[in-house]
Amino acid sequence: MLPHLGAAHGLARHLTGNDADADDVVQEAYLRALRHFGGFRGNGAAQSRGWMLTIVRNTAFTWRRRRRPEAEAAEFDETLHSETAGEDFGEELARRDSRETLAHALGRLPPDLREVIVLRELEGLSYKEIGDVVDVPIGTVMSRLSRARQRLQAALLAGKEG
Amino acid sequence: MSHPDVETRIDAYLDGELAPPDAAEVEAHLAECGRCRRFQADRLALRAALEGVMPRREPADALRVRVRNAIAAELPMLELPARERPLSLAGVAAPTAAARPARQATWRWLALAASVAVVAVGSWRLGAARAGSLVLADQVVASHVRSLMPGHLSDVVSSDQHTVKPWFDGKLDFSPPVHDFAGRGYPLLGGRLDYMDGRPVAALVYGRRRHVVSVFVWPAREPERDAAPVTRNGYHVLHWATPEFSYWVTSDIGLAELKDFGGMLRLADSATSGARAER
Ligand SMILES: [Zn+2]
Repeated sequence: MLPHLGAAHGLARHLTGNDADADDVVQEAYLRALRHFGGFRGNGAAQSRGWMLTIVRNTAFTWRRRRRPEAEAAEFDETLHSETAGEDFGEELARRDSRETLAHALGRLPPDLREVIVLRELEGLSYKEIGDVVDVPIGTVMSRLSRARQRLQAALLAGKEG
Repeated sequence: MSHPDVETRIDAYLDGELAPPDAAEVEAHLAECGRCRRFQADRLALRAALEGVMPRREPADALRVRVRNAIAAELPMLELPARERPLSLAGVAAPTAAARPARQATWRWLALAASVAVVAVGSWRLGAARAGSLVLADQVVASHVRSLMPGHLSDVVSSDQHTVKPWFDGKLDFSPPVHDFAGRGYPLLGGRLDYMDGRPVAALVYGRRRHVVSVFVWPAREPERDAAPVTRNGYHVLHWATPEFSYWVTSDIGLAELKDFGGMLRLADSATSGARAER
């Protein structure tokens, strides 16, 4: 049992945009956790999850800096996000359409907005916990989440009209 | 509360992060404002759609094993108990005296994670050993590719096995088998020290036309089965172990050719280890 591996993996996938890089980031993050466990302050499951996610997030940040920035948006792998289960064909097609639109918009969000929405939607972290991971005040978490959702919503609406 | 006020607060409201008085105000406004109710409905639809886009997915077992192995490989290099280290991680606070008990708690889960890696090798030996060897195969290819960069190929450049073999004396705690296969199209080019599987190892470099073949050798820890060849980014990797040595061979030449070369190495090794045994 590796603590918080699911959460670490989920965050890394969304921050890197593909499975191979996410795996690298996760492995590096656990090694960092091992080397730097002296920096740990929290206790209990929720806090150690926040701590682990902080390391994953910072590892992904280092990873991102090593790559060309323009490659990042272009290489986002949308297949990561599209999983379909068959049903009524037309309905399914429409849903897949909006899902792809949304996945695309999510991958295109600037990293500071993407990370807060992923921490909230995927991990269900509280604003306080997100603030600890990202190292910003709660007010900033709130406004970033709001901006992230506004952009996603706009993309979704534009996709429906287009 | 005005429309814009509600619109900026609606996310925090739906996230349950609004203080009760503010939440009550939002609710009061929603009760009498169709426009803001539509805004809320759109947000609820977005949340539902996001759930479909971000499915909770369990990480693959391969990742689990890979991380465990990485941790297990790292453990011997760490001094225990922890000494304070400079932290290079932004966002992770420096340790304080008050943090010590918590730190130990974290250490425990990491130690636990790593001990599971050791137990895993014991209990589902084959699966874990195979995953471990896949991790090693990655290291082998990475080292080989690194060595192809200018100036990194060899520490000792010589086609003479009687120059290359003694070069390792004092640098390693074992004497690697060094052969020359120039007569069969695989001239010895040299050797270098490398670090693999948590220990210093010998890397021998052979040429094949314009290609390079790397052979990594270190003392075998325990008997292992021969592994099937794997391919990483166009590099084939062969692995086998004799009672004495663990061998890893990689190159971008064809797999059949590489297997031929592996066969020569095995034969040469068994001949010399037979000679050693007779002495
Ligand atoms: Zn209103």
